[in-house]
Amino acid sequence: MTTQQTISEKEPREAGPWKDAWRSFKKSKVSLVGAGIVIVFVILAIFAPWIAPQGINEQNLSERLQAPSSAHWFGTDDFGRDIFSRVLYGARISLWVGFFSVIGSILIGSLLGILAGYYGKWVDTIISRFFDIMLAFPSILLAISIVAVLGPSLQNALIAIAIVNIPNFGRLIRSKVLSIKQEEYITAAKAIGMADTRILFKHILPNSMAPVIVQGTLAIATAIIEAAALGFLGLGAQAPTPEWGKMLADARVYLVNAPWTMIFPGVAIMLTVLGFNLMGDGLRDALDPKMKN
Amino acid sequence: MRKKSLMLAALVMVLSVILAACGGSSDKSSDSSKDSGGGTLIYGRGGDSVSLDPAAVTDGESFAVTQNVFETLIRFAEKDTTLEPGLAKEWKISDDGLTYTFTLQEGVKFHDGTDFNAEAVVKNFDRWLDGDADKFPYFQSMFGGFRGEDTAVIKEVKADGDNTVVITLNQPQAPFLKNLAMSPFGIASPTAVEKEGDKFGDNPVGTGPFEFVSWKRNDSVTIKKFADYWKKGLPKVDEVVFKSIPDNSARLNALKTGEIDLATGISPSDASSVEADSNLQLIERPSLNVGYLGMTVTRKPFDDKKVRQAVNYAIDKEALISAFYEGKADVATNPMPPAVSGFNEEISAYPYDPEKAKELLKEAGYDGSKALELWAMPVPRPYMPDGQKIAEAIQKNLEDVGIKTKIVSYEWATYLEKAAKGEADMFLLGWTGDNGDADNFLYTLLDEQSIGSNNYTYFKNSETHKLLLEAQKETDEDKRNELYKKAQEIFHDEAPWVPLAYSTPLLAGKSTIKNFYPHPTGSDIFDTIEIK
Repeated sequence: MTTQQTISEKEPREAGPWKDAWRSFKKSKVSLVGAGIVIVFVILAIFAPWIAPQGINEQNLSERLQAPSSAHWFGTDDFGRDIFSRVLYGARISLWVGFFSVIGSILIGSLLGILAGYYGKWVDTIISRFFDIMLAFPSILLAISIVAVLGPSLQNALIAIAIVNIPNFGRLIRSKVLSIKQEEYITAAKAIGMADTRILFKHILPNSMAPVIVQGTLAIATAIIEAAALGFLGLGAQAPTPEWGKMLADARVYLVNAPWTMIFPGVAIMLTVLGFNLMGDGLRDALDPKMKN
Repeated sequence: MRKKSLMLAALVMVLSVILAACGGSSDKSSDSSKDSGGGTLIYGRGGDSVSLDPAAVTDGESFAVTQNVFETLIRFAEKDTTLEPGLAKEWKISDDGLTYTFTLQEGVKFHDGTDFNAEAVVKNFDRWLDGDADKFPYFQSMFGGFRGEDTAVIKEVKADGDNTVVITLNQPQAPFLKNLAMSPFGIASPTAVEKEGDKFGDNPVGTGPFEFVSWKRNDSVTIKKFADYWKKGLPKVDEVVFKSIPDNSARLNALKTGEIDLATGISPSDASSVEADSNLQLIERPSLNVGYLGMTVTRKPFDDKKVRQAVNYAIDKEALISAFYEGKADVATNPMPPAVSGFNEEISAYPYDPEKAKELLKEAGYDGSKALELWAMPVPRPYMPDGQKIAEAIQKNLEDVGIKTKIVSYEWATYLEKAAKGEADMFLLGWTGDNGDADNFLYTLLDEQSIGSNNYTYFKNSETHKLLLEAQKETDEDKRNELYKKAQEIFHDEAPWVPLAYSTPLLAGKSTIKNFYPHPTGSDIFDTIEIK
């Protein structure tokens, strides 16, 4: 604590809001741990092909269901594949799905949210009721039905998760836009004849980003769990893709005989989700203390 | 605000605890021993029946029930497919093999009180003969066709007095008696058939040891002891409930918790845990099946024999069997299992030889640009406990020789329907013999006349067609076996399938279950089974 304070005292005070946020973020050890976990997983995901001792589908049926050993750190699965390698590649898939599904939700959710919040009236009514309808469904059920329509695959699972999360971002942005719209600088911008689109993208959008970043980080955690759930149900990644949820589903049969087939993908899901949640909490405290309830 | 939501959360928790408690108390386990009579047998299986009118279906789960409600003129012995008197106590065959005279059991009654006699038998045959392939698909494939058709085996069926039935054939059929003993040809009450019409499959009435009580779709079928059953002292149990539990481990769990008494479709990997449990017994069903990978020969690239042979070389069958059948199977060499008479022992399976496979693919000019569909069964079957896993291993084997595949699966009924239409490139499937005859494998699965019903590969070959038809008419056992052996050689060379395994299906029951002998055909009669 003391060293951190001395550092911050040394730094000049001119820093903008982002620097402020970083200062407050790094004060919390827990969020640093979260960020650390996330970074480790991102590195593992990026360098998986170099780190992994085996490919994702190198079957060796004579070595199936072997307990963890020096040759296979996490043991082998029912096809004699190296679980360590598969968990590493699984990180790629989970992070990819988590990240891009959330980006998708943010893009579409923001657009709809801005329209609803800025123009109000019937536009708002339609979009908000649409969000309400979507939120009325349990999210996993909605995701399952979307996948059922599109057909089971990793890509469609990503799309389904993105769609399911749209209303969360939409409503967030909408409420933010509603409050920013009342600010004097917006009135000023309008008074000097600035175009709507310019006001929206130059002033309103940047000012509503903070809660979106926080929500986005937390949503990645949820998206990873949802992707795993879809994979577990056989609606997400298809064999032989080493998606963690799919790995769990395949391991279910060997729960008693070969628990390592289940433990490692399970722990991987738990750790990444924990990492994103802790990081998200830290970001929330740093970026938008008001969001704390 | 905060307080309110806390209260709400607390309320939800309390409610869910109460609900969970209610659920627990209503979940009674079946305690059969407390009943004064034979008790209830709850039989867990992987899927529900399609219809309970046996003549209308071909699937094993339907026969599993109807086998207990209906009886056939001739039946199989308790443990194998030797023939025994059923509703007919004796029979005579004319020298030309064209006239069969059956003398019926006396004093037999249908569950609805109708008398069983020659007239009832004739009415049943008339019903089938006047039907069509849509209504009675199995009749079509076992007896060649319907009344008046050129291919039809049965010419006419007549009553001679009250207790004698005479069946005249158009042409001799060697497995005729075996065919008659098959579950689909159980004798139904003519009164009930007339009364129920198309609904007969929902309300079956036969002469069997058990009468039908109720059917909750996708859940359970209940049958109870028929008090006036003609074999005195049978059945031993009062009631049998067929419960559908699709997931293998869930079914085994239900057995362990006592929710069911007997479970079919035990995963080979669970065998050791059943054996270790002193409350349970592991039961092996005698093997009469073959699991295979079919290639639809009307689709590219499988129209080329070399590609089909390459696939045969590419798959490591030994490894598959030791991994996914845990040794409870043998590598298949022919489209029929060794227990069936006429099996060709001189043929050995294609060895695992990826290099040879690549060579053949090259010769065939296969470019591998398009990913082929590899269909995997969604449900565990006796001949293949886990189709998905086997598909995944095969996918890897094929990838190694340069064949790209995509694993596809459909809901079971859709899977069969689409495969029958020839929509799959490659598909996993299998067959459990229904009468223990070679005809019920080779002709049923690979003859051109079976295209559209059970020949999913659309394989057509004039030579095997001739051999198989000849074998149907040949009554000399040795000559007949020769014909089948020759046909198997051609099937081996033409390779429309990769025969994978002859498996020993596993069942598990409570240790209190006595006198249960699973039948090789997969249709068990629960008349002698006891719970002690």
